[in-house]
Parts: sequence; structure tokens; C-alpha cells
Amino acid sequence: MEQILVNGLYLGAQYALIALGLTLIFSLMNVLNFAHGQMYVFGGFVTYTVVAQLGLPFIVGLLLSAVVLGVMGALIEKFLFRPVIARSKREESTMLLAAGIAFFLDAVILLLFGEKQRGIPKIVDGVFNWDFRIVIPYDRILIFVLAISAIVAFIMYMQYSKTGRAMRALAQDRVAAELMGVDVKYYSMIGFALGAMLAGLVGGLLVSITGINLGMGGPASIKAFMMIMIGGAGVISGAIAGGFILGMMESVGLTLLAVYGDITYLVIFVMLMIFLSIRPQGLMGKPWG
Amino acid sequence: MSTILEVKNLTRRFGGLVAVNSVNFTVNEGEILSIIGPNGAGKSTLFKLISSFLKTSGGEVIFKGEKISNLSPHVVARKGIVRTFQETTIFRSMTTRENIIVAHHLRAKASLSGYFWGSAKARRDEALFADSADEIITFLGMEPIADELASNLPQGNLRALGIAIGLATKPEILLLDEPFAGMNHDETMHMVDLVRNVQKERGVTIMLVEHDMPAVMKISDRIVVINFGEKIAEGTPAEIRNNEKVIEAYLGSEDDAIGI
Amino acid sequence: MNTKKWLLTLVFLLIVLVGVPWAINASGRWDFYYTLTSVALLSIASAGVWLTFYIGRINIGQGAYTLIGGYASAILVTQLGVNFWLTLPLAGLACAIISVFIGLPILRLRGVYFAMVTLVLTEVARLTALALPITNGAKGIVSIPLPAELSLFGLTIIPDFATLENPKLAFYIAAVIMMVLCYAALYRIVNSRLGHLCRSLQQNEELSASIGVNTAYLRVIAYSISSFMGGVAGASFVSISQSIYPSTFQVVDSVNFMLNCFLGGLGYVLGPMLGTLMLYFGWDLLFTMGKYQLLIYSSLIILLIVLLPNGILSLPLFNKRGGGPK
Repeated sequence: MEQILVNGLYLGAQYALIALGLTLIFSLMNVLNFAHGQMYVFGGFVTYTVVAQLGLPFIVGLLLSAVVLGVMGALIEKFLFRPVIARSKREESTMLLAAGIAFFLDAVILLLFGEKQRGIPKIVDGVFNWDFRIVIPYDRILIFVLAISAIVAFIMYMQYSKTGRAMRALAQDRVAAELMGVDVKYYSMIGFALGAMLAGLVGGLLVSITGINLGMGGPASIKAFMMIMIGGAGVISGAIAGGFILGMMESVGLTLLAVYGDITYLVIFVMLMIFLSIRPQGLMGKPWG
Repeated sequence: MSTILEVKNLTRRFGGLVAVNSVNFTVNEGEILSIIGPNGAGKSTLFKLISSFLKTSGGEVIFKGEKISNLSPHVVARKGIVRTFQETTIFRSMTTRENIIVAHHLRAKASLSGYFWGSAKARRDEALFADSADEIITFLGMEPIADELASNLPQGNLRALGIAIGLATKPEILLLDEPFAGMNHDETMHMVDLVRNVQKERGVTIMLVEHDMPAVMKISDRIVVINFGEKIAEGTPAEIRNNEKVIEAYLGSEDDAIGI
Repeated sequence: MNTKKWLLTLVFLLIVLVGVPWAINASGRWDFYYTLTSVALLSIASAGVWLTFYIGRINIGQGAYTLIGGYASAILVTQLGVNFWLTLPLAGLACAIISVFIGLPILRLRGVYFAMVTLVLTEVARLTALALPITNGAKGIVSIPLPAELSLFGLTIIPDFATLENPKLAFYIAAVIMMVLCYAALYRIVNSRLGHLCRSLQQNEELSASIGVNTAYLRVIAYSISSFMGGVAGASFVSISQSIYPSTFQVVDSVNFMLNCFLGGLGYVLGPMLGTLMLYFGWDLLFTMGKYQLLIYSSLIILLIVLLPNGILSLPLFNKRGGGPK
């Protein structure tokens, strides 16, 4: 039982980090970033290249993943989303654009890094073992700690920095924020960059444990969607809650439902449908419509 | 005059806030009844409760002796209580005529598959709706804009279109949510005449929520005043004009805005 | 429909049923039969997505229903020996019924929320197909026989495809006929009062309810018709490839169905057909680009959206009669 909870927490921390980026982009620009999973995979490959190919330390790879994805996010916002949002008559266009970008990133990853599963050598050896009730490799603990610190840092940043406050104002009411003199264009770009950066960071973290491959992008996006539906789209606390809840459910499901075959996600989906029919705005989302 | 609608102890809470608190009044058949009150007094909530777009927290709404609160909105509409919306809500990418034709839904006799296959009933329905839409267009003087896309119409016309949509359903009670909001004096007076006409010539009972006091005084048979979710007065325009509580409520609300 | 439209329909039928086979014969590009058959079938599934959009919902879950329809038909044919042509409506029906149960809760969601939940649905369908014993997991169902003869009172209506000299042509003809029937139905829905009602939902659900439309019921009906189309398309597709795996239809396919509709144009019944033709054919033509296929394809899509954010049919060329886009 303890082992399941620990696994759930470990998964949840990473999931929450993915969901945070997605929800940030959604709340700022009302864009559902289909390419989020691909950004995460891309981040993983950056760390892989830096650590496994160039032989630099893990932390350099991690930072570089964040920087590369941040720049990529900013460019995508400035040159693709901004013109489309300005000229499009419906919000769905951004969804299409995001889907197109997801395909594009898939193609780029395929060309740059190939189809193979990639991983990097273990960063820390050894296993924490508490009487065989909780068995967890030290590198997972490290990744968990890093993920949690990133979440805390993100919350602090959103809460106390000038940029964070401006972004929160923007998320709450775009028009009002604009009237108050918030540079909407600039902060949309920063927000998108930050969201992409978080995705890249998780990719970098994960490549050290499970490795990374081209096919992981789509499923990662889907999990992220589930998380923000559970927690409520566009709400930071909701993304974190959704991440941990999904991580926990996955961990519990994989153990308890194993005898019935791999039906964890079917069960989670059915539960999600029932939950959404009672509470369509998710746990912490604002009622809408 | 007989009672057509009865509101009994109607209550609605949002979390800790009581938006409508145990309100009682009746509506007589064929009259124009206005509900007024300072901003945030709970008028719109009251409307939503009557048309069942919100569930009640207590009390009930009785239409012709039958309890209608907490039914689905479309069921309430089917019974004859039809609401038009505050934000000039219409089907924006349809023409005026299409808007009115669609709104005849309650009078449709054919089934959905009947419309698909073009059954005799469906064709009769469609002919009837087209005729009736023309008649409403003439009645409201909307001929010049009949084939204009609704999204291209100016606000005054949209308001009239909202009423046309309401009329197409052949309602017994029409609920108008701020029919005069944002209009200048001439437009308002035109609208007052229009609403009066609907009541007189079509025999529709009308309830409306409105801020524009002169218009309300001119149009209403009776007025119900709400403040802080509670009814504070009820009576003819002359009675309301001289009611101390009402004057106090309106003066008092000027310096503290209450938002629900 | 007026005479002009009947004539155009006739011309279209002549082109696809006589002109295209002739051109393929002349050019010797037999592989185009498979491509065009796929386009016809996928455009049926896209038509379903278009119909859900018509009631104001962005459906990225059609892949789930094509998969369910495919498996339903495959299982009926291989395990119960049901004639393929009978499994077609049965597969559609199975999808329609399932979609009612799924639709009842999720159709209350709007905008991106509905889009997200349907996308998740696609993935869940794939995972379920992997997990269930009857679908045979990742190994899938293979060696599905070609469609058998369909006869009524001893009269052959559709011959046994296995005995045909050119089953590719037969599949093509069958797919085109199904596509035409599907779009005829869609045209009828859109141009009858049903279309008006759907548009009333798309534009303003609250007002729609207040004029007495049972919005929940209408939404579920439209969604189940959409899923029916998905099921039929999936079943036919499986019959051509004679196999089905959990990965036969996945999230990418759902996204493609949506892209077909949006890029083709949402205001026009034929939009999804045009979109499917362009995207699928375009993808096929780019095959010669080898490993750059996906890169060029996705770049073109992005370019198209950036240049024409309101769809191809928003070009002035297509808007001569005014009215303007929605």
C-alpha cells in the first residue's frame, strides 16, 4: 500500500508539472496546446543530447531543455499563434494550429533524433528500501524533489513576481488587464514560453528515469488534458490537484486492476465522465457557460 | 382578472448569498407586470427561476395551478412561459426571418425524422411557420430587415427581434429581460408601444425586468419592487411612485453598489 | 433541390463513377483506387465530425467510433460469420448506441472541454481494444475475408468480392456510393428544419432551450448520427485492409478528421469531403518526399492556418453570393 502511494506521488509530481504548463497557456490565451506532449518529448531529447552525446552534466541538460523549449514557445506564440488569434473568427482555429504544430514537432523530432527509445545513464545509483514496504531508487527520489521544487518555484513566481502578477491579471480578465495597462502581447508570449519551458523541464527530468521516444508525445498531451479536466482548466491549483490525482489513480489502478488486464485508463475515463457530468468545471474551475 | 402565475416563497441561494429571499406575488392574466429594483437586487435571478434556467433553493412557481419550478427550461417554454434574454440574445448567423421560423419550434407537429424525409406533416409545419413568420414580421414592422443577417442588425432591431422570437412560440407569458436597456428616448417609446401592442392585440401576459423608470411607469399595469432579494412593495405605478420604502431603496443604493 | 443542383450531382456521379476509373485505367495508377476509396470512407467519418460541429461541439473523438465500428464488423464477420454488408449497419448502430451513453454526460460540456474529453475518448478506445480479449489485444484481428455475396430471394445484389476480377474497383464503387448517400443525408439534414435546429444549438443553446427545443435530446441525436457515420466508415475501412489493430485508428486520426472539416470549411456540407480529399491526397502525394513527408505536410497545414485562419472556403472565390462567414 505504501509503495502504491509513493509511486502515485512520484508520478503525480511530474504530471502536475506538465499540467501546470498546459493550464498556464490555456488560461492566458484560451489555447488548448495539443503540442504540449511533443514539447515535453523535445525537452527530453535535448537533455539526452547534452548528457549522453556531449557528456555534459545532467543539470546542464536540464537547464538547456528549459531554455530551448522556452525560446521555442516564445517563437511559436509570436509568429504563429499571435497572427492567427488576431485574424481568426473562431477560437477553434488555434486548436487546429496547435494540432499542426504537434505534427510539425513530431516531424522535427523524427528527423533530428530518430524513432529509437533514448535514455541517459543513471544519475544516482542505489535504492532506498524500507523493509520492502517502500522500495524506491534514489534517482527517482531526486527527480521527485526536483519536480516539487519546480512546482514551488513556479507558484512563487506566479504569486510574487511582477511578471507573475501580470499574467494572473491577464488570465482573470484579458480586457480588464489590457485597460489596466498590462502589455497583453508581451505577457502572452512570456506565458507561452513559460508553459513550454515547464514541458521541456519535465521531459528532461524523465529522460533520466524512463527514457524518451517519439511516440510518447501524444499520450502525454492526453494525460495532461485529463489532469486539467479533473482540476479545472486554467486554474493553477487545479492543475496541481489534477496531476496528483491522476498520478495516484494510475498508481492504484495499475496495481489493483492488473488482474483484469490493462484497463486502468478505461476505468479512469469512465470515472472522469461521471465526475464531469456532476461537475463539468472540474474540481477548482470556475463555472462557465 | 384571473391569476395566471403565482410565485410562492421563492428562494435562491448562491453559496452563502441569498439572491432571492422568500418572494411572493401573483401575475394576472393579460397584464403587464414589471419587476424593478436597484442593481443586484435579484431581479434577473428571479426571472431565471421563473423560466427554470436556475433551480430554486426553496419555494415554488405555480402556472395555472401547476407547479413548474425546477422543470427543464424547454419544458417550461412548452407550457407557455417564454423568456427573452438580457444580452439581446439571438441566433446571430441567421437572418431575421430564419430566427423567427426556428422559434416556431413549440408549434411543430412533425417528428424529427418527419423533417428529414419531408413528410406531409413536416411540409405543413414548414408552410405554416413561414406564413406565421411573415405575419409577425409585418406585425412588428420588420419587413425591411427580414432577410438581413441578425449579426448585422443595430441594437434596437435586435431587441425587437428578441420579442419576435418570443412571439413565434405563441407564449402565454412573455418574460422580457431589460427590453429598454441601452436605448435612447425615442427608441424606448417605440419599444413601449410595441410591447403594449403585443399585450393588447395578442393577449400575451408580459413580465419585464427593467431599470428605465419612466418607461416602466408608462408601460406597467402593476409593479413589484425587489431589494436585497426581498419584495419590498407591490402595486400600480401611482402607488409605487409614492411608496417610501421604494424611494429609500433607490436613494440608498446610490452610494453603496451591491453586486451579486 | 433545384434542377441545377440535380445536374451538378449527376456530373459529380459521372466523374467519380465513370471518369475516375477511366482515368486510372488510362494512367495505370491502380494504387489511386486505394487512395480514393480511403478518401471516400474517411470523408464519411469526417462528415460525422462536421455534424457535431454543426451543433456547436468540436469533436476530436471520431477515431474512437471508427475503431469501435471496425472491431464490431471484424468480430461479427470472423467469429459469427455474419455477412459483411449486414455488419455495416450493425457496426454503425453499435457506435450510435455507445455514443448515446457517452454523449449523455459529455455533451453537456462545451468548447475546449468537449474537445478534450473526446480526444481522451479516442485514446481510451485504443487502450480498451488493447486490453479486451475479444479484440485480441495488440495482435488485432487479421485475415478478415473479403465481403461475401449479398442476395435477396436468390437475386444477387452485391457479388462476392473474392470472386471479382477487380475487387479494388468494387471497393471504390461501394465506397463512393456510401459517401454519396452519406452526404445526401447530411445535405437533407442541413437543408431541412433539422438544420435550423442544429444551427440554433450552435449559436445559442440557452435561447434554443427557451424557445422550447429539447437541446439535450437534439445534441444526443446529432452525436449518435455522427457516431453512426464513424462506425460505418470504420467497418468499411477494415474490410478493405482485411485487418484491424488497436492502432488502426488513433488520436492522430481523430485530429485528422477534425482538420478535414475545418480546413475544408465548416459552413458547407461538402467542406469535409473537400478537406479529406486535400489532406489525404496531399499526404499520399508527399510520400515521394520520403522522411520529409510529415515535415512538409505539417508545415503546409500550419501555413494554411496562418494564411487562411478561417478555412479554405473563406476565400473570396467561394463567397460570391455574400452572406459572409459565420
